[in-house]
Amino acid sequence: MQGSRAAQFELYKLYAKAMYNVALRILNYEEEAEDVLQEAFLDAFTRIVDFRQETTFGLWLKQIVINKSINYLRKRKMEFVSTDEISEVPDEDSFDDGEVQLQAEEIRQAITQLPDGYRVVLSLYLLEGYDHEEIAHILKISENTSRTQYMRAKKKLKSILETKGMRDE
Amino acid sequence: MNNRLETFVKENRRAFDIMEPSAGLWAKIEQELDTKKKKKPVKLYLWMSVAAAIVVVFGLAWLYVGKSQNKDLEIADVSSSYAKKDVHFAGLITEKRDSLAIFASANPELYKKFTADLRKLDEDYERLKAELPTSPNQTFVVKAMVKNREIQLQLLKQQLLIINQVDDYKRVNQI
Repeated sequence: MQGSRAAQFELYKLYAKAMYNVALRILNYEEEAEDVLQEAFLDAFTRIVDFRQETTFGLWLKQIVINKSINYLRKRKMEFVSTDEISEVPDEDSFDDGEVQLQAEEIRQAITQLPDGYRVVLSLYLLEGYDHEEIAHILKISENTSRTQYMRAKKKLKSILETKGMRDE
Repeated sequence: MNNRLETFVKENRRAFDIMEPSAGLWAKIEQELDTKKKKKPVKLYLWMSVAAAIVVVFGLAWLYVGKSQNKDLEIADVSSSYAKKDVHFAGLITEKRDSLAIFASANPELYKKFTADLRKLDEDYERLKAELPTSPNQTFVVKAMVKNREIQLQLLKQQLLIINQVDDYKRVNQI
């Protein structure tokens, strides 16, 4: 068992940061993200016998982290289906990507300003690389909802980046 | 139209994983792992006692059901005088049956017929006995049961008589 503890630490070192960011993107609260991370690792280590190498350990762990994060979010009673939590942002074609310095940090911070429903769908799609079918399954919403949520989230994100860009100038 | 944002994010996913969990988190996890390990044998013990408890409960239930099934109403519960008669008849019936069995090898055909008749009466008796606990008029059923025994006994007597005569006849003819 001593050897396995060392192995567990290796796994932790390898995945903790990435998984923490996954949880943080969904939850937007550092404390909750850490709770999720702790629970997810404990779960993974105690259930490691269930882990079959059909997938990688990382993907398996990520699944656990995402599920736990969603559960935390649900406890906060957020509603994924509601699409009216935010007033419609007009689709501005005038917005030019080139004018904005697309810096990761800027985008990351803008994402944190998105409302929960938008942020989760956008993060899962853009950053965790799930498709809408998978997101629909994870969040128990329809694929269509996932798609529209994502479109609106992206629009909102752009508007946040835009106003920011103007403020920065 | 706004694919640049998408492409940028998708191509630079790693750049978004910049937040760090607090340094003490592993220690917390390790601590939890240790307490979980210690809890395990306790848990196993708990499960075993739960399983044992279930076995005990089932055992008791089985015993109880068995006992209550044995509590099937007997004639004696309804009427002691009829019970005495029943026992008396039953004793005689076994006696006669044994006597009848002695002739069985000599007259197999006849014995078969006789036992078939007796079996019918016996079945009636068992049916009555099964009815007894739920019957609205238990004395009536008990009477019928004792009557059945009596008929069995009479039948046996006659059968013995017949089989005796047949036997005698056979023996006379042999001489």
